Amino acid sequence: MRHLAVALLVLAALVLPRQLVAHEATLGVLEFREVRPGAFVGLWTMEPTIGAARVDLQVPPHCFLRLPELNCGDKGLIGPITITNLGANMSAVLIKVIPIVGEPRSYTISTANPVVSVLGTGAPTLQTWIELARTYVNYGIDHILLGADHLLFVLGLIWIVGGGWRLVKTITAFTIGHSASLAAAAFGLIGVPERPLNACIALSIVFVGVEIVKQQRGEIGLTARYPWAVAFTFGLVHGIGFASALAGLGLERRLLPIALLFFNIGVEIGQLAFVLLVLALMWAHRRLDAVLPRWGDALPAYAIGSVSMFWFFGRLLRVLAAT
Amino acid sequence: MNIRLGRGLIAAAVLLAQASPAEAHIVAARLGDFYAGALHPLTDLQDVILWGAMGVLGGTLGAARGRWLVLVFPLGLLAGLALGQDFEITLTGSTVDAGMVLVLGLLLATAVRIPTVALCALAFALAVIRGMANATDLGPETDRLLFAAGLACSGYAVITLVMALVLAFRGADTSVPTSWRKITLQALGGWIAAIGLMMVGYSLAS
Repeated sequence: MRHLAVALLVLAALVLPRQLVAHEATLGVLEFREVRPGAFVGLWTMEPTIGAARVDLQVPPHCFLRLPELNCGDKGLIGPITITNLGANMSAVLIKVIPIVGEPRSYTISTANPVVSVLGTGAPTLQTWIELARTYVNYGIDHILLGADHLLFVLGLIWIVGGGWRLVKTITAFTIGHSASLAAAAFGLIGVPERPLNACIALSIVFVGVEIVKQQRGEIGLTARYPWAVAFTFGLVHGIGFASALAGLGLERRLLPIALLFFNIGVEIGQLAFVLLVLALMWAHRRLDAVLPRWGDALPAYAIGSVSMFWFFGRLLRVLAAT
Repeated sequence: MNIRLGRGLIAAAVLLAQASPAEAHIVAARLGDFYAGALHPLTDLQDVILWGAMGVLGGTLGAARGRWLVLVFPLGLLAGLALGQDFEITLTGSTVDAGMVLVLGLLLATAVRIPTVALCALAFALAVIRGMANATDLGPETDRLLFAAGLACSGYAVITLVMALVLAFRGADTSVPTSWRKITLQALGGWIAAIGLMMVGYSLAS
């Protein structure tokens, strides 16, 4: 297992500091306000980094769009909306529709879900639920797979705990922890400023790095003794971080619980895929007896510690700059 | 057990054969350049066949020889990517790829015990060529460092897992020359060589 971790962590140390940039979504928010039945005025309330003029927005075929004007006639704004040039510089756009009658609605067009179906007013239909599931499961998978800090923390836990039931319990505790705090944060029960929180997440990885060093020295650290407790505690911190991904999307209150559920399912799918890949590689290394020399033993712990301290200082500077 | 394994292999082959290079760009747009680098080769059939065959060859030669590929193969991919990008050297083409498939297939089919140095040289050369091939698809906006890291991680994971699976399949009865597992691997090598031969013929004819 050590040898696998060495290889993975060295690669992680090379890649992850830049990977964090991708973790910060580049969002845009476009608001359509209905001024008379079927006719809307569109306004970018948050312009994407590539500039509003470069966004290739496609509206339902019966609608006519030339911003700020959007005219959908008697049929109204119902049907697919897509953006064809989503990518690294613009990962998601939130479309807010404010009708004359009824509640405002929000739709997220993301690289994971480039087409959304705008729904009419009234109760959510089966199509609404399918649309939400498709959008938020994908968004959850993307969020965890692009969240290098979350993955590095999980990797550290796997390294300390090893395989078997202990790992199952530890990962389950992490899942329960982050699901609980994700729900609490999404419903507004708890609120933590994003920048200090991100610094705390980086510190949690530093903690895991220190625990690995302790384990190598033959000391029994807190994580080795109570892995589930450590995983649950830091899971709470990471979960609030997950919630920040949902916060900017401006979801309707009535749709929030189900969107949260699907988002969490997506996060779990991504996390499970990562854990299975790591376990498979651990097994493969054992089979091949592929080991690094003894002098390389300490390398992963210091790599994990260095990367996470680099993140911590970077995030701390942002906190200080904001105050 | 054998039927299940066969079904699994057929299902995997069908899944891989259905993938097309265009899917890599969807992945790239969705998950960024690291995952684009990691998944791009897995959507190219030539990469899949060559990487897989290399892993099988490494596995059949045993852990002591094969384990070197865990390091050599990703390094070769990085070297190939750098050569392709920075020096614009290309040594790719359907004939070269087909020739490599043929060579790997023949080595597997004949069960030649090639020495570790030769195995590493072969794996490195193959990885360099495929690294160059992957470099040709890099766009101007692609983050090269992330793409390279993704490609190297993918190469490491695929070669390590395939070799380990082959070792597990081979089991402990490798000393018996008529072991059905050994014969199966040689037969697989024969199929790979046949595919390579057909590819060579097709590329020379077209």
